Amino acid sequence: MNQRAAVLSLISPAYLWLTLTILLPLSAMLYYSFLSDVPIGSREVSWTLENYGTFFEKAFYSELMLRSFKLGAEVTTFCLLLGFPCALALAKSIGGRTKEALFLLIILPFWSNALVRIFSWTMVLRGNGILEYYINWLLPGTGPLGLMFTYPAILLGLVHSYLPYMILTCYISIDAIDNQLLEAARSLGAGKLTIFFRLIVPLALPGIVAGSVLIFIPVIGSFMEPRLLGGRNGTFIGTIIEDQFTAVFNWPLGAALSFIMMGLVLLVLLGFSPLVRRFK
Amino acid sequence: MSFHVLLKLICFQWLIVLILGSSVISAAEIRVLNWQGYGTDEAWALEMFKERTGIEVVHDYFNSEQEMLTKLRTNPGVYDVVLINSAYTRQAAEEGLIEAIETTGMANVSDLSSSMRNDPKLVDDGKIYGVAWVWGVTSFAVDTGDFQQTPYSIEALWDPKNAGRVGWRDDAVEAVQLAAVALGQDINNPSDLKAIRQKLRELKPQIRTFWSSEDEWNQFFSANEFDLATYWSGSASRSKNTFGLPVEFVLPQEGAIGWLDGLSIPTNAPNRNEAKAFINFMIDPDFYVKWDTEVGAPTSANAKAVSMLPADAFNRTAFSDSQKVAKVQFMGPMEDALREEILELWQETKAYFQN
Amino acid sequence: MNFLKWIGRTYLICIVVFLYVPILVMVALSFNESQLYRLPIEWSIRWYEALANNSKLHSATVNSLTVAFLSTCLSTMMGTAVALAFYRYDFRAKRLLQILIFPPITIPWLIIGTAMLVFFFWVGIGRGLHAMVLGHVALSLPYVVIVVSARLKSFDSALEDAARSLGASYWQTTLWVTVPWLMPGIIAAALFAFAVSLDQFVISYFLAAPGVTTLPVEIYTAIRKGLTPEINAISTLVILLSMLLLLGVSRFYRFGGRD
Repeated sequence: MNQRAAVLSLISPAYLWLTLTILLPLSAMLYYSFLSDVPIGSREVSWTLENYGTFFEKAFYSELMLRSFKLGAEVTTFCLLLGFPCALALAKSIGGRTKEALFLLIILPFWSNALVRIFSWTMVLRGNGILEYYINWLLPGTGPLGLMFTYPAILLGLVHSYLPYMILTCYISIDAIDNQLLEAARSLGAGKLTIFFRLIVPLALPGIVAGSVLIFIPVIGSFMEPRLLGGRNGTFIGTIIEDQFTAVFNWPLGAALSFIMMGLVLLVLLGFSPLVRRFK
Repeated sequence: MSFHVLLKLICFQWLIVLILGSSVISAAEIRVLNWQGYGTDEAWALEMFKERTGIEVVHDYFNSEQEMLTKLRTNPGVYDVVLINSAYTRQAAEEGLIEAIETTGMANVSDLSSSMRNDPKLVDDGKIYGVAWVWGVTSFAVDTGDFQQTPYSIEALWDPKNAGRVGWRDDAVEAVQLAAVALGQDINNPSDLKAIRQKLRELKPQIRTFWSSEDEWNQFFSANEFDLATYWSGSASRSKNTFGLPVEFVLPQEGAIGWLDGLSIPTNAPNRNEAKAFINFMIDPDFYVKWDTEVGAPTSANAKAVSMLPADAFNRTAFSDSQKVAKVQFMGPMEDALREEILELWQETKAYFQN
Repeated sequence: MNFLKWIGRTYLICIVVFLYVPILVMVALSFNESQLYRLPIEWSIRWYEALANNSKLHSATVNSLTVAFLSTCLSTMMGTAVALAFYRYDFRAKRLLQILIFPPITIPWLIIGTAMLVFFFWVGIGRGLHAMVLGHVALSLPYVVIVVSARLKSFDSALEDAARSLGASYWQTTLWVTVPWLMPGIIAAALFAFAVSLDQFVISYFLAAPGVTTLPVEIYTAIRKGLTPEINAISTLVILLSMLLLLGVSRFYRFGGRD
């Protein structure tokens, strides 16, 4: 069978599907972002750059964008700091059925609903909530903790949601490191820190990068977690974009803000790519 | 098995998807678009309605007026009845989203208070685009456990004593209109948006959190996250009746935002007559009295229905102070340009609220 | 080194506990009498009884499972085919195509969801379960390609050559040699696809037709418009079901790779 036909028959169903469901809809969005109004019904529409202009005219859009990127960076960092040691311990300090059981336990939360998990956090953190109730029961007179509707509450909810991604991607790449290699390094006199920083981290870098990308991008666009956990402090570019689509019906502006956000995300990823390549 | 078999499998699955996707609608079923938990979807009411007419009712919900309009725009010929705040009825009619209702055969329409039945927001050129259903006011409610003395002024929301205790609905139009009430401006055509912007910014230390739904309001209130919060009159009586929360609704001396909700029929509704029967049932005293006494409701536009409530009912007594009622400003239609300005103003304010 | 291992294990347990806090809370509150989630917990099974009579949540659950099942089958088949093509062949535009598979993960769902709504409305696909399957497949495809490709990295292509030299045709080799060897990866990919679809609410929210919703959409609406512990009850049942499913699969497939 010739290669061309084989490749085509293997990949065309998937790529046709992606064209229909991702590529064409996104093109439609791009088109919308240059319109003055949503072309539904009898509305008059014209071409305009105004939607993109709005972002640069009003300072608060870029302030919120920056805030979202900061949130993305913080969540990713926390996930890395918490998740990498966890993946390392799972891959290299446990074996057999225990390892499998723990692995199952770590991926199982994926099958529970993300919304319900965040909602449960609100039950834990809110006034008279579980945390406050039991802390006051243990140490009477502690009073309200005021954790709900704060930036740390959002951080906690997001780190919790995305941590399994980091553990999983790091685990896959750490698990692939040959134990004999580590043994060899050790017998040549390398210390634990040297092994960790010169061997394990560089070899696990693909996993770290994959995990970071899988976390960073959705966090920047997140709106549900900030809304539920952040209250007054939960306004980010994601919530503003959601408002444009659901509450305000200004799809052109929503689309323009989305494309600006995507463009900035791409810039950040490009900025990091030389670093990644150097490690390889 | 060959690649063709795989292809066939995919086609077969597609077939299943298509069959599942096209749902079959029986004749005696109507689709209603409303806020969730807002009267039309009470289980007992739907049972009562089915007993009387044999018509089944299916619901779809929206979370904002704009979403409601979007749903009408993107689903022509799907819904039979839609609840529209009368401030938006004109816009919906002008866009061709709803049609004029021929009210002959709707027995209860004649019992509607004439000012609401003929409200210019609902009626255009003698054509009725929305049947007045219920009305109420938006101001704020307090926790009677925390307030020995009920505040009489809307300034309570700005009072530094209440720092960190206020709940506020995350809605641009409502936020701006409440500030307009506090500043004595026209809520439908504010004369000084700069002053409103400043007034909203001053809320920063007071606001504990935003709320977006009645249920959320009840939960936050019951968890003591806030002690006073903006609220709707009908919902306040529901919080009191159904959940036994110590809520008192305040009609401030400065006035409040009034709203009138109407029921409309979307253009090309598949079951026009059944829709009319349902709207007629919704303004029936039998339904309303039960709704208000057992669940809690805003004030009915049907004067006869209100007069059948118990003498001490909130909806009969609350609006007895005619001086205060005269200060209630009803929400009216708004120019698109003004609305967009308001939306941006509110988003900028929210950005300012971030620490 | 033993000391380090001991620290590692303790740390692992802490992380697992952290991951399960909200899930345990969710389960505990499903047995709480108070509709407003008030504490202390008064134990009751009233929400499970209410759930038994809630036909709306039932049909939403059935819809969710149907959509998840269909999109898992479709995306697993198509994604595996793509992974095979990337593994076996070098061709022009391969790098580009590899990058193009990722947008579904890397673009915020909110944007994709709205874009799909707009586009499907334009071309007449409309809203409903069929539209949701279209969207969910696209979202889970990248996960399938990643997981299956990972498994393919350790595949010995000599196995295929051997089959071919014994007279098996191209598709016979693929179906009877390569795919069975890949099965653990395919199963893991399918589980991922299933999870992605079962949890997806943003896209479903936009693509749901009136009266035809899925569980996450119901939950999202409920969180905004009136949540009852019934939601906790059904979520508890769903995670129990997933646990059984995972345990069942783990009997045939070793999660966590080699030791």
